Amino acid sequence: MKKPNNKRSKLFTLSTIKSLHKWLSLLVFMQLFIWLGTGLFFNLMDHDKAGGNQYRQALVSQDIDHHRLLNPQRVLRASNSPASEITLVQRLGQPYYLLTHDKGLYSHFDSHFSLVDAYTGTVKEIDIDMASALAQSSYRGSGKIAEVLLVMPPIADFLKEQNNLWRVNFIDELDTSVYINASSGRLVGHSNEDKRFVDFFFMLHFMDYPILWGKPSGGFNHWLISFFAILTFLFCLTGLIWTVQLLIKGRYKVS
Amino acid sequence: MTLHRNSRKYHKWLMLFVGLQFIVWSASGTYMVLMDIDYIHGDSFVAAKKQSLKPEKVQYSFRQLLAEHAQAKNIELGFMLKQAVYRFSLNKEKVIISAKDGQQLSPINKSLATEIAKQNYAHKNAVISSVQLITAEPPRELSTRHLPVWRIDFDHFASPSFYISANSAQLVTKRHSFWRIFDWMFAFHVMDYIDESPDNKLLLIVSVLAFIASIFGLVLTYYRLAPAQNKRNKGKSRRVKLSQSKSRERAANEKTE
Repeated sequence: MKKPNNKRSKLFTLSTIKSLHKWLSLLVFMQLFIWLGTGLFFNLMDHDKAGGNQYRQALVSQDIDHHRLLNPQRVLRASNSPASEITLVQRLGQPYYLLTHDKGLYSHFDSHFSLVDAYTGTVKEIDIDMASALAQSSYRGSGKIAEVLLVMPPIADFLKEQNNLWRVNFIDELDTSVYINASSGRLVGHSNEDKRFVDFFFMLHFMDYPILWGKPSGGFNHWLISFFAILTFLFCLTGLIWTVQLLIKGRYKVS
Repeated sequence: MTLHRNSRKYHKWLMLFVGLQFIVWSASGTYMVLMDIDYIHGDSFVAAKKQSLKPEKVQYSFRQLLAEHAQAKNIELGFMLKQAVYRFSLNKEKVIISAKDGQQLSPINKSLATEIAKQNYAHKNAVISSVQLITAEPPRELSTRHLPVWRIDFDHFASPSFYISANSAQLVTKRHSFWRIFDWMFAFHVMDYIDESPDNKLLLIVSVLAFIASIFGLVLTYYRLAPAQNKRNKGKSRRVKLSQSKSRERAANEKTE
């Protein structure tokens, strides 16, 4: 049924805006308060603590005896799989050639490396002892190592990580965990209770609720947040139209 | 009744001041969640490379390199285009030398930078619209630590720019229109229009006001949507009557449907 009456349809529009605003408020208010609350938290939080690096220390490098360095030709010939890069790195003060077999665009992308002793040419696997020692060398707290685990993605402390990591847990008041890349021995990072606390707020802000898909995705490109973002935008827009209308009608009076 | 009336007053007045930021938050937030972050970071513009080092192409060793450049740090054997090269840091500056004879190749010139940009670009037959060497005062999207750098603009959808370091000959960063918009959206989302940092006083003040204004809004939602029974007991507000008559109208409409 069509209603060509202009006046009527205009009235209808304004009351629709108001009624939309009212009903949208019911749909989005919970998440809106979560967004505002977590937003305030990000504004006020201690950004140094949020990094999880309370007990991190810089790795020290030692002088190496370059006369003893193996020729890279030999290393390439001895390698089973082709390498696109060889980097001279240090692990626990010892020089190693890090062979890159596959490398993603970023360091957390799926990659494959091997580590070769730069003096002897022996292939070095990052085993549990090596991982513990590497983690210990980056840790300046007083805690002892509680456990060392090889973890596969998804890894709660580093959700974007796509590679297998060694997780070295320390006994300290912050429950520090140190992560070491299992194929390169590179220090991926530290995490602790402070960082996990901030991560929880990010989970809320990004609506990355693990209850919905079993595990958090670590991102904000998903249908739930997209849906709520659009609803919230409509909610704000109807509110703005309402405000403008109140202004036009002269309902903002200081008395 | 006073709670209802005061809530309406404060919601109305506070939103006059922070309502626009609500639009900015929801619009910028919607843009950021709808745009795929990997696309935003320009990952789809970068070509996948697969090159492997051939032993016979590496005539110059790490040992020779350290004998000649004793202060070299972060030494890396890799590729520049199809040539095997060493990259390393020397007094905080990147240097490239040939892996064939150790000859220094950096800084690179314009034509080489253009070649490297093309090799890294995912779309073949890309047309380059401009090439520029930036040595000081980088644009907003580029960190000073990347200088000196060649900026290569492609004549393509979303106007991508690749930044190739003049010293390392590597793609250091990239931008395109949708990423540039994303950066502005983030700046407006956190109300820091210069450093894009969320810990600023303006954001704090506006968020607190927005929070208070929203609480009054929630009170209004309660009064407007709670059963009419509640409202009748709360007094004779003109608008309550209006909303009651509206709910009667709705009920009537529902009946006719």
